Order: sequence, then C-alpha cells, then structure tokens
Amino acid sequence: MSSIDEAPPSRRMRTPNDSPLKVWFLAPLGLWLILLFLLPLLFLLWIGFWRVENFQAIPDFSLSNYTDIFASFFSKSRYGLAMIQSLWVAITTAFFATILSYMVALSIAFAVPARWQRLALLLAIAPFWSSYVLRLYAWQTILSRNGVINSIMRLVGLSDYRIDIIYTQIATRIGLIHYLAPILIVILYVSILAIDRVLIEAARELGCTRWQAFTRVVLPLSRFGLMTAGSFAVIVSLGDALSGNLLGGGAGTSIIGKLPTYASMIMSDYSSSTNLPRTSALATILIAVMVLALAVGFVLADRARRRIG
Amino acid sequence: MTNKPQLPKATSSKSSSISRRMLLGSAAAGAAATTFGNFTILSRQAQAAEPLRVLCWPGYEEKDVIAEFEDLHKTKVEFKIYIGGEQMLQFFAQTAPGTFDAIISDAEYVQKLKANKTIEAYKTDGFAELANYHPKFRDFAPTKGETAGTVYGIPTRFSFYGISYNTDEMSAEQAGDWNSLLDKKYAGKIGMFDWYLPNLGNASLAVDPGNQTPYAITDDQLKKVKEFLTKLRPQIGMFGSSNQPIAQAMLAGDIFASPTGDLDIDLKLAGYDNFSSTIPKQGGIRWQEVACVCSASKNKDLAMEWVKYMTSPKVQSKLVYTKAFKARGPNMKIVDYWDADQKKLLSYVPDPANPGKMLVETLIDRSMPRGLPANQPEQAWIDIFNEFKTA
Repeated sequence: MSSIDEAPPSRRMRTPNDSPLKVWFLAPLGLWLILLFLLPLLFLLWIGFWRVENFQAIPDFSLSNYTDIFASFFSKSRYGLAMIQSLWVAITTAFFATILSYMVALSIAFAVPARWQRLALLLAIAPFWSSYVLRLYAWQTILSRNGVINSIMRLVGLSDYRIDIIYTQIATRIGLIHYLAPILIVILYVSILAIDRVLIEAARELGCTRWQAFTRVVLPLSRFGLMTAGSFAVIVSLGDALSGNLLGGGAGTSIIGKLPTYASMIMSDYSSSTNLPRTSALATILIAVMVLALAVGFVLADRARRRIG
Repeated sequence: MTNKPQLPKATSSKSSSISRRMLLGSAAAGAAATTFGNFTILSRQAQAAEPLRVLCWPGYEEKDVIAEFEDLHKTKVEFKIYIGGEQMLQFFAQTAPGTFDAIISDAEYVQKLKANKTIEAYKTDGFAELANYHPKFRDFAPTKGETAGTVYGIPTRFSFYGISYNTDEMSAEQAGDWNSLLDKKYAGKIGMFDWYLPNLGNASLAVDPGNQTPYAITDDQLKKVKEFLTKLRPQIGMFGSSNQPIAQAMLAGDIFASPTGDLDIDLKLAGYDNFSSTIPKQGGIRWQEVACVCSASKNKDLAMEWVKYMTSPKVQSKLVYTKAFKARGPNMKIVDYWDADQKKLLSYVPDPANPGKMLVETLIDRSMPRGLPANQPEQAWIDIFNEFKTA
C-alpha cells in the first residue's frame, strides 16, 4: 500500500544545535560575561568585606562595613533616606519614561507609513548620538532661573510667572527620561511590531472601536515589553548619579524631602575618604536592591507573557 | 607612549586578508597601548636615558611650565594626571614601586602618603627660593618632617575656599561674614561644593573665629559645627561635585553665593564682572599642593631638582595661570612675571585696608590650611556632612 509506510524513516535535518562545536560558539559570550560582568562583580562584593588600615585597603572577611552602614541607615549618614529617595525617583521616572516611550513607539508603529518607520525610529533615538553629560548641561541651560524657558516667559510678558524646577528631583527625572527614552522606544517598538496585525483587524471587524482595540488587544499584548522597559528604566535610574547631581543639585527636593539619591551619596562618599571597602559595601547594597527590582520586573513580565500565551 | 600601527604594504588579493588582519592587529595593539598605557605623556621630545615620572594634578604637564626644566636637564618628564586625592592614591596603589619619582599632593594627603611609606622627607636647605615664599608657606605646618629642617612636601600652588558671590545680590560686607549665609533672603540661594573637608573646616572657623587649627577641635566644638551646618541647610540650593556646576549655577542666577571660593576668576575671564570672592573675617580654609619625592624612586636627584624648579617664581607664574586652571603661587616674587591684569585678577595688588600688603597676603593671613580631622575619626566628620545633606 503506502510507499510511505515502507519508506525508511527520513533523517532529521541537522541544525547548528546538533553541532559539537556549538559550545565553542557560545564561548565568546561566556568569556565576555565572565571577564566583564561576573569577575568585576565578585571583586566588588569581595572588597566590601575588606577593612582599612593606615588609609590602605587590607583583604579580610569582615562584616564591619555592613554593620556600620546599617547602623547609620536612618541616623548619622542616613543612607536609608537616600535609598528611599532613589527608589521614589527611579520608580516615578520609569513610569513616566515608559508611558512617553510607549506613546512614541505606538505612533511610529501605527501612524508612520511602513517605509518611513526606520527613519522615524532613527530620529527617535537620535539623542543617543550626543554625550549624556552635554545633554544634562543643555537641560541646565533650559531649566535654570535665567534659562531658556523663563527668558521666553519674560519675553511674552509672563514675567510674574517662573518655572523653578532646577535642583529638584523633577529636573533629575527630566534628565533621566531624556537619557532612557531612546532605549525604551526601541524595546517597545520591537514588542509592538511582534503583535499580529490580524488580531487588531479582527477586533475592528467584530465591532471594536479604536480605543477598545487598543485596550483589549494592543495593550495586553504589549505588557511584556512594557514590564521589560519599566524594569530596565528602574535599574538605570537607581544607578545614575549624574542627572541627580547636575540637574537635581545633589540633594534635590521631592515630596520626600531635600535628599540626595543613593548613587549620588556613593559617589560623594568615595571621593571623600580613602575607604574603598566601605564604598564597595554601599555599592553592593544598591546592587541587591537592583536585583530585587529586576526580579520583581521579571516576575511581572513573566505573568504578562503567560496571560498573552 | 603609544606605538603607532604600521600600515601594511600588501597588494595581492591573497595577501590582502593577511594585511587586513595585520592592520586590525596593529590597530588593536595601538588602541590597547593608548587605553592601558601607564602614562599620559605631554612632555617635549628630548634625549634622555631615564625620564622623570610625576603623578600630579592638571597644569604641571603644560609645555610652558615644564619645557625649561627638560631643556636644562636634557631629560623628559612623563606625567600621569589625576583629579582628586583619592584617585591619586588609587593610581599609586595600582603601579609597581618605583614607577613614580615625584608626586604633587594636596597637603593633607601627605599624611596618607606618609602612612603608606610612599614618600620620604627631604632637607629644605638649598632651596634658595623659599626665602621669597609667604611666611605661612614656610612653616610647612601640614608637611613637616620628623627631624628639624626636613619636609615631606614644599608648596607649589594654592588658593582659597572663601565666599564667592554675585555682587548684584550680596555686598562685600556681607560676604565678609560667614553668618550672612544664614540670612533668610539667601534661602535656597547658596551653592556648596560636595566635600565634607573644606565645608566642615569653614564651619569650624565660623563658630570658632581665627582658630589656627580648625581640624583639631574637641567633640563639643564639633557639635557646634554641626549646629551651624543645621542652620545653614535651608539656605543650600545645590551641591556641586566640582567648581564647574557651581559656577554655572551662579551664572544662571540659580544661586547667589558659594563657600567654594575663587569661582569669580573664571567668570571674570569669561567677561562677567558682577562676581567676586573673599575670605570672611572669621577665617577660611586654604588648599595647597605640595611637591613630594617618592621613597622608591631611582631618580631622586632629578626629582629634587624638579621640586627646586617648581619653587621658582617664573615657573609658578605659569603654573598658576595655565589653560587648565587658575590659582595662586606661594612665591611672592611671582608678580614680577605678570602683567597688571593678571595681578588684579589673582589679587596680587595692594590691599587698601592693609597698607604695605598685597590683597593676597591679607587673604593668606586670614586662611588656614585644609587638613584631616585630628581628634575624631574621618568617618565621624563624613557622617555629619551626610546628615547635613540629608537634613
């Protein structure tokens, strides 16, 4: 009967995964991660247990740096307050940066003709071509008391009003959002592109309004990208000290108070004393918080993916 | 120094891949040498078997400053530039003993270098130019050696952490008193350099005027310093990690004054005449750089010659007026090498309030050298500054 039944089983097509050389192809990535991520990280963790003698860091396994830091977490140096400020600034920055970037990514994906989308994306990430520090100085010129915004307001006869946000955490967020937006736009644009257009068309043909198609199809299917972008924004904002120093004035005002960010305090502590072990311990605590933020983001993104699935 | 990559002379297609590889290899080697090379060399070409290697703040490597020394000694000087005392200590710790022959250090860091046995004391006899130094720089207070007539470092450059202010917003009389900073009209209008050492030193003088040792204070005095800082906190609008952001904030009108000192020099040079600076009547902190000789140097004689060279007024006149930085020189004969504008800008002009003295001498007399906390651990002072910042 069937020649198929009698035919010998066909050989499965070989893929690169079957090659014994596959491990070697992974080697550069492994080496890269070990040399430029894992080893420096382990070294940083290790130095956190050293002690200082005669202004020199001495290898040791002492918990004194951590006990000292936690003893002054809410008194003396009050690193805890700075950490709360950092978390507040980072979470709110991530929220606004993600929403803004999502809107830009949606416009590129749905409002720009396909042949112009690459150019539109290129223009959206154009700020990345200039130095971050230069961008911060540019914002300083725009936001300051005699800056561009206030000068224009004076020119148009609104001299009774003044925008006074320089050296506040609002200014810090502006600098951070400008820094983060190009990266977030790319992440979110890729995630929107992955949405099957047929689903949107089906929703529309079944009577959904544009808004309903967005809220019931596009938004749920973008959740994974949104969570990834949000987690990334929180981590970068937590570790950044430049925007907080240049635009936030080192200890900018927020609803929490006039407090520096934790990253800013690490920088300040490092340049103040010959105490690398203590600074490493401070940095390790920040890394632990970042890992926690990443874990929360990962769990949320995973849940979002399962819902989509 | 870097090795420039050589372009291969290949023409055939077969050899072109090899030559491309060679090109990439040599380019990578060149890039690696540039990135990881130990020294930033900015000296002139000169014939020398053993160059002098110096770890220093910016300015010392500029051609105008070092050229004469290289010509005189038929040598070349290689400089590794650092920004900040902690970076200096890091650079030194990361290199093999004997790498550096001399170091330019902030005076208070001499204590840390001594503790690490990095530098050694040398005799001051033979330094003829010291006779022209201002007396306050001849006592070598923070850098004295253990035996008479020896020091660990001789001052080469200095300046002040007085009050820099916008003359449209603050009068000279107000700037002459630390307590003016507490005036309600300056709430949120004071900028501060983000480093505990000069700020706590200045606060120490504000609560204990004229104290010659503002870093050697009792716990009770330290409490008063903390109280002064607590009162000052509402006045602070911003902290700057360097002079630049503070000067920018002054220029933009976001702050009116700063206990950072000398911000007016660069602003005046940029054409803004409504800025000035002074040291309040209670006293202010002075920073000073000193030239040290490394214990493990194999080139100590030449290092000593370089230290001598750096004491000359002609060299200091160029050193304190470099492209990188403007400051002041401890050799009072420095004025012989400046024009009227330079003298005025750096306060080497007669002081109307003190006949027979230059303004800079009055400021030196009113200032105390920056030091390290003598009676409390460094961390106790850092904690106070952090508490002040987070108040």
